[in-house]
Amino acid sequence: MSAGRAAAGGASPPPHAPEFEVVPREGGIVAVCFVAMASPCELLLEADADAVREVGRLAAQEAWRIEAKFSRYRPESIVSVINHSQGHAVVVDGETAALLDYAAQCYALSQGRFDITSGVLRRSWVFDGSDRLPEPAAVTALLPLIGFEKIRWQSPRITLPAGMEIDFGGIGKEYAVDRVLALVAAHFAGAALVNFGGDLAANRAPGTGPWQVGVERPDTEREARLLLELSRGGLATSGDTHRFLLRDGVRYGHILDPKSGWPVRDTPRSVTVAAASCVEAGILATFAMLQGSGAEAFLEEQGVRFWCLR
Amino acid sequence: MQLKRPASPLHLGLMAASCALLSETARAQAAAENAAEAPLQIDASVLYYKENAGRVQTIEPVVSLVKDFGDQRLLVGTLTLDTLSGATPNGAIPARTQQTFASPSSTSLTPKPGYKTTLYAIAPGDLPQDPHFKESRIAGDLDWSQPIGLDNTLSYGGHASTEHDFDSVAAHAGLSHDFNEKNTALSAGVNEEYDRIHAHGGNPVAGSDYALYEKEPSQTKNIAGGLIGVTQVMGRNWLTELNYTFDHSQGYLTDPYRIISLVDATGAVTSYRYENRPDTRTRQSLYWVNKVALGPTVLDLAYRRSKDSWHIGSDTVDAKLRIDLGSGMYLEPHARWYHQSAADFYNLYLIETAAAPSYMSADPRLAAFAATTFGLKFGIATGRNGELSLRLEQYEQRPSDQSSSLTGLQGLDLNPNLKATIVQLSWHLEY
Amino acid sequence: MRIQCLARLTILSGLMLAACGCSAMGVKPWQREILARPEMALNAEPIDAAIDDHIYFSKEAASGGRSFGGGGCGCN
Repeated sequence: MSAGRAAAGGASPPPHAPEFEVVPREGGIVAVCFVAMASPCELLLEADADAVREVGRLAAQEAWRIEAKFSRYRPESIVSVINHSQGHAVVVDGETAALLDYAAQCYALSQGRFDITSGVLRRSWVFDGSDRLPEPAAVTALLPLIGFEKIRWQSPRITLPAGMEIDFGGIGKEYAVDRVLALVAAHFAGAALVNFGGDLAANRAPGTGPWQVGVERPDTEREARLLLELSRGGLATSGDTHRFLLRDGVRYGHILDPKSGWPVRDTPRSVTVAAASCVEAGILATFAMLQGSGAEAFLEEQGVRFWCLR
Repeated sequence: MQLKRPASPLHLGLMAASCALLSETARAQAAAENAAEAPLQIDASVLYYKENAGRVQTIEPVVSLVKDFGDQRLLVGTLTLDTLSGATPNGAIPARTQQTFASPSSTSLTPKPGYKTTLYAIAPGDLPQDPHFKESRIAGDLDWSQPIGLDNTLSYGGHASTEHDFDSVAAHAGLSHDFNEKNTALSAGVNEEYDRIHAHGGNPVAGSDYALYEKEPSQTKNIAGGLIGVTQVMGRNWLTELNYTFDHSQGYLTDPYRIISLVDATGAVTSYRYENRPDTRTRQSLYWVNKVALGPTVLDLAYRRSKDSWHIGSDTVDAKLRIDLGSGMYLEPHARWYHQSAADFYNLYLIETAAAPSYMSADPRLAAFAATTFGLKFGIATGRNGELSLRLEQYEQRPSDQSSSLTGLQGLDLNPNLKATIVQLSWHLEY
Repeated sequence: MRIQCLARLTILSGLMLAACGCSAMGVKPWQREILARPEMALNAEPIDAAIDDHIYFSKEAASGGRSFGGGGCGCN
């Protein structure tokens, strides 16, 4: 009954085939597997293989809907429309408005360190494991285009100054996990677990006992595999196992500080947090990474279950 | 495995934000689905109203349709049917002797060949009421509302109704503006109503002697009014609205069926006059309503203060508590307190020797009284977004002025309490 | 038209509410989940309200106040 692997992000997403497959697992669990948001996705259900096609189809379609709507890579997504609006106001719907409100609250609660406008730094930083750091001048040139306080957000209108971008990458996957779980729970009475590449949520434990979650982080320096038990709630992992730069013995993780434009120093290699929902777990993991060396102390103070790897 | 500590303020903030995101998006999705899938709402109700002592009773079916054209454009159509029967007080006071009156449809007060006469006799001590009262009315309303730009709503509509002795047409228009992140809304509106009164048997000459039975052809009145209001979100669970309304009526404002008794110094009834009200009336009211959520229970509390140029002042307090019983059921107790002061030309009766006033009326609706309503409503969810509900209420009106010190009227209740029972069955459906 | 005491009172309270409304009162868009419940709408039971208005219009001297629309009947 092992589920999931920690997220492995790539630079650009492979196109996904709009189909899914049903794979029986042991212990009366059936998995519906598909690809979405550049990750292997699975929906685990305590059911018979012949009873899950309809629920599986709804789950996959919801994941693809959210991906198409919020992916910055899709020209028809609301994020692309906003990012190409050249300073004009864009009217957004209720779902997008709720995500923007959430981003605004997280920006405030993190004192500006969680900032969905910081994606432009991608133009300078390419985390491919090499030693190629960007020119400091290039990074500094991007700083005027960063800052959530610079955008005008008055529901339902958002106005981005020309050159600025927003990106829901930091919350999109966790949001999709919780939404798909809610959708599954509305159509399926049994225990369910949704796992999108290591960000997961479950509504309750199967009859045979809690879900066994294996968080695998294969690493060149150390093999570490966590085995966690999850009955209900969300689990999210933030880590830089595959996205980093290494130069002169200093490791630069991919979590960037929007105020300096440079990576946060001394971040853990990976942080896994358990919380009531995947969204909440994910934001706590992200906030922890932003603390750098203080990640463990931060999570201790929040009173949550967490696992840190350095 | 770390021990769990109580959540820090930051964690509480993130928990609240995460919860809000998931519930807001669920709601937005559901609303989008509902609007797309259920653009038509139907409300059907039947009201049964019955007063005590053989007085008025009515059965009133109402059907209302709301069609959602998307983007918050709504069309509302309502049809109301009213059938009234029973006895209605004619304004005269009880007397120690038998009194005889003619029903309004009579063309003569005394039986005469070639004239239609329907008389009714009232026993000594009884309140004079016309037992032949029957009326049916049909009314239609059509209302449209739509957004204008992102922060404004325009609404307008019309009404038409007709019954045997009264026709009415009205139109209204209003605009409201949202600001302050939709926490505040300012509204303004106007309305205009035009009525034609053609009483059974003709409109009597106002203030004339009842015995002369002089009638006139139909007359009209019109009412022009305005409203300004502000709606404000006071907190996560409290919404409030304050409205000021103003209207000015002009024309035939008299009740064509009401008379007032004239008595001599001892209290013996000598004659009757048709009532006579001023031909203008200006009214203002201040209305304040609140909706407060106390967990799953919702309190609706309203207060209204009204004044008019006939010097009737009134206060109303209306409270409802919607108690959620779970499983789609609710119970809603209701209480209303009302008090009004009398119109300055209102009298229970007139004394003959006094100089005849220019305006006069004995209509109990213009008297000083206190009224209470106590009710209970039960509702149960049916199907998808449907609801069936039953409302039972008891209304009682207690006039302040019910007796006279004149010897001939001692011991008579000149304006008895009014009691009414209200039963309403409603059904709400969505397609 | 002479502005009566009531009107003055409303305009004053309305302006105060609107002025204070700017930042002191109100909720953020993500805090509207309770206000969004159908029973929290000010006109949550329009048929009941219309029926009550009609009953009290025909039995009492004061009427309306909540809004308008709707015409008269011959009962007052």
